[in-house]
Amino acid sequence: MDPTAMAWLGAGIGAGLAVLGAGIGIGRLAGPAMEGTARQPEAGGDIRTSMIIAAALIEGAAFFGLIICFFLQGKGA
Amino acid sequence: MLAVNLLSPNPGLAIWMTLTFLLLLFILRRFAWGTITSALREREERIDESIKSADRALAEAKEIQADNMKARREADQQAQAILREAREASEKIRSEEIDKTREAVQRMQEEARAEIEREKQGALAALRAEVADLAIGAAGRILDENMDGDRQRKLVDSFIQDLGTN
Amino acid sequence: MVLIACVAVLPLTALAGASPFAAAGDDEELDAVHHIADGYYLDFSPIPKIELPRIFLIRDSAGKLKLDFFGSTKRAVASGRYDVIFEDAAHSAAAEDHADDEASHDDGDHSDETVEQDDGHAEDDHAEDGQAAAGAGGHNSPLDGKLVPKDGELVIDFSITRHLVFVWIVAALMIWLFVGLARRYRRGVGRETAPRGMLQNSMEALITYVRDEIARPNIGAKADRYVPFLLTLWFFILFANLIGLLPLSVTSTANITITGVLAIFTFVVVQMSGTKDYWGHIFWPPGIPIFVKPILVPIEFLGIFIKPFVLAVRLFANMTAGHLVLLSLLGLGFTLKSVYGTGGGYAGASAGVLFALFIYLIEVLVAFLQAYIFVMLSALYIGAALEEHDHHHGDDHAHDEIPQIA
Repeated sequence: MDPTAMAWLGAGIGAGLAVLGAGIGIGRLAGPAMEGTARQPEAGGDIRTSMIIAAALIEGAAFFGLIICFFLQGKGA
Repeated sequence: MLAVNLLSPNPGLAIWMTLTFLLLLFILRRFAWGTITSALREREERIDESIKSADRALAEAKEIQADNMKARREADQQAQAILREAREASEKIRSEEIDKTREAVQRMQEEARAEIEREKQGALAALRAEVADLAIGAAGRILDENMDGDRQRKLVDSFIQDLGTN
Repeated sequence: MVLIACVAVLPLTALAGASPFAAAGDDEELDAVHHIADGYYLDFSPIPKIELPRIFLIRDSAGKLKLDFFGSTKRAVASGRYDVIFEDAAHSAAAEDHADDEASHDDGDHSDETVEQDDGHAEDDHAEDGQAAAGAGGHNSPLDGKLVPKDGELVIDFSITRHLVFVWIVAALMIWLFVGLARRYRRGVGRETAPRGMLQNSMEALITYVRDEIARPNIGAKADRYVPFLLTLWFFILFANLIGLLPLSVTSTANITITGVLAIFTFVVVQMSGTKDYWGHIFWPPGIPIFVKPILVPIEFLGIFIKPFVLAVRLFANMTAGHLVLLSLLGLGFTLKSVYGTGGGYAGASAGVLFALFIYLIEVLVAFLQAYIFVMLSALYIGAALEEHDHHHGDDHAHDEIPQIA
């Protein structure tokens, strides 16, 4: 297989996996956060803040993956 | 090519950016943030202060109200006490008056009774003396005159009759 | 209101922007990466590109440092002292090949077209990546390449880039806005009375938010000392993000160098405020068995550098990815047109604009969110560095580890 094609393939699959991971992570984070807010609406503000921070951290990890994919895409181009 | 361009740091730009940000930080710190944050703090302090003073005023008002209530209650109680005292005093005075009157009446009665007794005793004494005199007179008369039985009876009767009229 | 205006304007410009592309020819594609990447020009699409000054610090063959200044890339190339090198290996080889004849047949007036012609030859020479070159850099010009002095070596390229121009625009906007606001406060509006007007009210809300919700809870007693830094950081990132959403502008925060510098500022502030306890925790973590320490200390030490690195990458990647998605959706029309013809183009464009509008709204949220995250984490790191521990570390150690993960 052509290395360029391999690189593009790798970039595509990698981006998909990175987004998948981030999606699972944020989903697992948001579900209990909503539950917690529903149970204790008065703690909603705190829960939301820490949820956003945690989501940003998860997203940061996913972006690392995406950047590698970007490199691969660059190799392909 | 472009992806690499996107990810590769540019040292010249980094130096420009550092200078720009330092300058921005310096200018804003010197001419903006200080004034703004101190103004905000000042306003917050004043708002805080006015809230506190309002709280204080409210507390004071409440205290004054409580004082007023207390004073009124006390005055009420005092009035009640005075009323009760007055009633008690008047009651006492009345009963004392009654007692005194009763005593006086009693005393007067007793005095009257004693007077009557004395008068009676005096009268009795006088009577007794009279009776003795009369008895002596009667005895003298009896002794002076010789009298028979019938005359004696008549004499005694007339004596007793005398006694009765006296 | 500004936001509503932006949102309303975006689809219009997207449609308006479509016409020059369409006019340029059917084989030209919308290159999203090219629009986000830094460059040595300003591109206000319908009007021609404005080239920015090039400044080079070079060490010539005699070993002397020299500052070279040109009004534009065109002039720098025209001076004949610089070679254009494309970073792609294939292209750079091509550029090398053509460097000589470029110098020979272009003297005074060096225009874009000749360079593009050169690239046309390069594509012919390298047939296997001809398609890629047409896709990625159909408009290859010296602006897309790297200028390297023929005589001596390049020390630092101080050239003004368009991201730098927008950094300056943001900085100028901030200075104008906040020095003006400060004057207002000094006059007494907002100090003795309530703030007046939408601008002052909204800015004050943001300022108090940063101070009361970000700085104070995370830093603690010494928070007010760091508030100016955090405020500058916050407004810089926020304004750069938001200005990047305006049509015809570029997002200066979608540049790893710029976010990197911001993160380095945070890094320096954190290290400068580090207490003895902070360093102690890194180099001799307490409450941990001796044999674990050789493993933990390097991790903790690396953590010092990883934290700001992640900070920079997060902001950069978020802004870049958002704009890439936005531009890719806007390019849907062109893609479908080339595949399915005009009808597909219309369908793709209308769907793409709708999706782009949705992403655009998300990007407005992301602009605020990423500024918040950056400042929030900076405050968290500063707070962790300032923390004075009482010396029973057993239970509060778990709490210390949280920023570490970041």
